Amino acid sequence: MPDDATPRLPLRTGTAVTGGHYELPVYPFVEPAELRGGLGRHPVAIVGAGLTGLTLACDLALRGIPAVVLDEDDTVGVRGAASRGICYAQKSLEVFRRLGIYERVAAAGVQWSVGRTYAGDDEVYALDLEGQATHEGSEQPAFINLQQFYVEWYLVDRLYELGTVELRWKNRVAGLIQRDDEVLLEVETPAGRYRLAAAWVVDCSGGHSRLRQWCGVGVLGHRGQDRWCIADVRFRVQPPAERWTWIEAPFNDGRAAWQHRMADGVWRLDYQLPADTDLAQASRPEVVEERLRRQFGADLDHELVWVGAYAYRSECLERFRSGRVLFAGDAAHVMSPFGARGGNSGVQDADNLGWKLALVLGGGLPQRLLDSYDEERRSAAHENIRVTRRTARFLSPPNDHERVWRQAVLGLAREVPFARAFVDTGRLSAPTLYPASMLNCGVGGGRPLANVALALAEGRRADLLALFEKAGDAFVGLLFGDLPAGRAGALAELQRRYPVRFFRVGGEAAAGLLPRVIDLHGRLARQAAVGEGGFALLRPDCYLAGTLTAPSAAEIERALRIALALESR
Amino acid sequence: MRTELTLADADGFYEKLLDAQQGLSDEQRKLFCARLVLLLANQVGDDRVLEQCIDAARRGIG
Repeated sequence: MPDDATPRLPLRTGTAVTGGHYELPVYPFVEPAELRGGLGRHPVAIVGAGLTGLTLACDLALRGIPAVVLDEDDTVGVRGAASRGICYAQKSLEVFRRLGIYERVAAAGVQWSVGRTYAGDDEVYALDLEGQATHEGSEQPAFINLQQFYVEWYLVDRLYELGTVELRWKNRVAGLIQRDDEVLLEVETPAGRYRLAAAWVVDCSGGHSRLRQWCGVGVLGHRGQDRWCIADVRFRVQPPAERWTWIEAPFNDGRAAWQHRMADGVWRLDYQLPADTDLAQASRPEVVEERLRRQFGADLDHELVWVGAYAYRSECLERFRSGRVLFAGDAAHVMSPFGARGGNSGVQDADNLGWKLALVLGGGLPQRLLDSYDEERRSAAHENIRVTRRTARFLSPPNDHERVWRQAVLGLAREVPFARAFVDTGRLSAPTLYPASMLNCGVGGGRPLANVALALAEGRRADLLALFEKAGDAFVGLLFGDLPAGRAGALAELQRRYPVRFFRVGGEAAAGLLPRVIDLHGRLARQAAVGEGGFALLRPDCYLAGTLTAPSAAEIERALRIALALESR
Repeated sequence: MRTELTLADADGFYEKLLDAQQGLSDEQRKLFCARLVLLLANQVGDDRVLEQCIDAARRGIG
């Protein structure tokens, strides 16, 4: 979680409003073994129990790596800031499915299908996502809205249930020493100060991380002029369950505004403020109440749950790996909130890093595999920053000239459908493609596969992610159609030597060979773009490493070695 | 990007283009041009050609 000790413009200032805030869990401080004379080295220390850190801890726990998580607080969410991220996109929901918290997220969260975009008093256009197969085939929906602390809460519950990860609350990291074979962390606790040794450290401590400076990793940044104020509000009479976006809101002096629904009947209202507004003044409850009355009328019956103002900034570290320290989530990159790309990209960072760390630690694979984390996720961060800055430019044209272009777009969007594509109120987070990844070993490498429905040979329904559970979280090799004679033995040999499990997709049922799955709607073959006799290698984060047409066992082995960073392309 | 003429009546197009903007303020003319560019871009529908057109337009201004 962010460390606010550094005197700089806060990313977000939070004020808890009495009466409305949530009851958050409080976790116990337990005196660490190091303070009781225990020594020993942890395989992984994760700094920060926010969304990214907890996702990574859970992922590692399921891969058999007992990480230790250090957090300076003892609850979920930033204290007094009961609300941060609110929207989880499909790839994150698939990760939550894999980690075992998806059912809870889906039960508590809300979905909307109708979105309306307004400029002035008119609706520019409306959109109904119902039945639109924009993300074809996943068992998870395009997105679910839910307050971030709930997701963190479920992850903590899951970690306690799994039992292998140690969660150290009230443990504040105050220094770092990097050695060739380990990292030493100076940690402050209520029971005293101690030194912790870990083979690897992952910094998930947020946008004010100090580990970056301690490691000497530079931050490339951009600070926007734009200021926003969030009000989370519980209404007595619920507005329609739709997402409304104003580009020029009459009740907000012609600036932008948002209205989305979250769990517990709480609405997130987000108001664009004039450039260089004083954030503290703009987030005073009486100022916020006045803003709400202008939007909803004087007789509004409601309760303010949380208020916070923030300024835009974009930041990206020059590298995401520094020796044995890796950076993930907001500690590695910060972007404007459009399209929910902050939290969702943190989840994707953890999803990308977990299996690589586990294979380097437990599978004896080269550290070069971790360089692919830096390569892939830094390109993802750059893309997310580029996409969110485009939205910021549309919502706050920097000069009159760009305002005229926006006026042209808004005018045309009311008249002709194609122009709606230019109306940019945020592009929902999508999994980043890695077309240039060093791990790509065939056609289509670096593309994510959606979690499609499958049937197991015994007729039971499953999904693509279930194959990774059967595979013990190794790579999944899919062979479409019938196997050439004598191939099964060679593949079994590869399974003994590499972290991979092979499955046949379709073909003739035959006993005693590789496990067989049925591609229920042909979605798997379509997504992977593989025909009969073809092969697809899936990474543990459900990305395609590559596909091959009718490969020999030797060609499959070579593909595997590239995808595991054992060989270069 | 095509550089040879494709219009059957270049003079007629040019005249219509100018006539349509008569009587507009400077602000309205800018808006007209922006609307027209967006409409035409969608007719072209080819990212590479559009990029070449943007480059060519910018290059001629120095």
